[in-house]
Amino acid sequence: MAERFSIIESDPYSWPFDGRWSADDSALLILGFQIGTIAALHADAELAVAGELADAARSAGLPVIASRRGRDGALSPVASRRALRGDPLFEAGSAEWQIADALGVADGDTPIFDYAGDNAFYSTGLEAWLRTRGIRNLVLAGLPTEGLLHATQRAANDMGFECMAISDACKGTTEARHNGQLRITAFGNGLFGTVARSNQFLAALRAPA
Amino acid sequence: MNAFWPCSQPKGPKAVALVVIDMQVDFCAPGGWVDQLGEDVGNTRSVIPAVAEALATARETGLVIVHTREGHQRDLSDLPANKQWRTRVHGLGIGDEGVSGRILVRGEPGFEIVPELAPLPGEIVIDKPGKSSFHATDLDARLKAAGVTHLVVIGVTSDCCVQATYRDGFERGYECVVLEDCTAAVETPNHEATMDILKAFGGRWGTVSDLSGLRAAAGELCG
Repeated sequence: MAERFSIIESDPYSWPFDGRWSADDSALLILGFQIGTIAALHADAELAVAGELADAARSAGLPVIASRRGRDGALSPVASRRALRGDPLFEAGSAEWQIADALGVADGDTPIFDYAGDNAFYSTGLEAWLRTRGIRNLVLAGLPTEGLLHATQRAANDMGFECMAISDACKGTTEARHNGQLRITAFGNGLFGTVARSNQFLAALRAPA
Repeated sequence: MNAFWPCSQPKGPKAVALVVIDMQVDFCAPGGWVDQLGEDVGNTRSVIPAVAEALATARETGLVIVHTREGHQRDLSDLPANKQWRTRVHGLGIGDEGVSGRILVRGEPGFEIVPELAPLPGEIVIDKPGKSSFHATDLDARLKAAGVTHLVVIGVTSDCCVQATYRDGFERGYECVVLEDCTAAVETPNHEATMDILKAFGGRWGTVSDLSGLRAAAGELCG
């Protein structure tokens, strides 16, 4: 059994709710940190933080999982409309579609889930991957905050996973949307889980309880 | 084409579902859960007349009508432990006994839809354990079986179950519209942030319209 980590002072409560998290039951999800999206959102600072989270999680023995949004073939009508509104689905295999090198996913040990929408759980094997390994707690980073990050955290929350978003490893299409989405996340004592800064998560990873 | 719909005109009234989210006593009425927590139900109650008008328009036009109710099995077997824990911090959590029965539990008075908006016989009622009406329900299967391709989503709360259902509908290929004047959040800043997110870039997941837009679109469907 892996040793437990310390609880994290997150907003609105100390995460996780039952105080129990270790490398055996927790994972880091890194959502949509792809070359084209990072460029469009000017998210280099958030990428650097996500890279730091991934390195620290791997060192501590936590599974790191990546998600990648893209398309393989023709777009549905609703997806085409979305692309017209400045949110293109990158062609699988294109330069924009690649996950940034800084996240270390080329190690072959990082599962990557591909999908065409926002929610990394929809029509993927992600839930089964997590359940078969006994994972209950999820730490999330992603782009954009109100897109992939929220859609995935919201779905995970409905499934009963105990979720925490890392605010400085996420960026919205505007600062107001980023802040608004995270305020809604924490509303009502954690409608969709909690929100913390990266340094709080990193400190806990390095300090067993 | 009416700018009401995101991409295309529905093939007829039965290709459209009006999805009314969680207009339940526990969220919208005196004596319900939110009210017992000491929160203001003014915002969620304020949309009851507009939702009633949207329902009347949809019934006249012959749209498919769906009502959802958030709540859990009586033995709470579908209630995640963290969801219950979070709500108990407020002193009255899901499954606990309140003045309108057990909070968000199926069959209790607080779980019912407010009388002003009661479902009529033949309308679809979806009982859901999560925020998204598509999570752990047969909503998608029932809509597809009925030939529905377009969703008009209204009800409460905008920042939670309404946007979750709207965005999950988009994800499943439905053309989705939310009616801004038929949805609300407990706290106004959260409603405003949600509307800003849904309207950004002209609506990435669908469109945002209002009751008058629905009336015009309904007129075209009948015409």
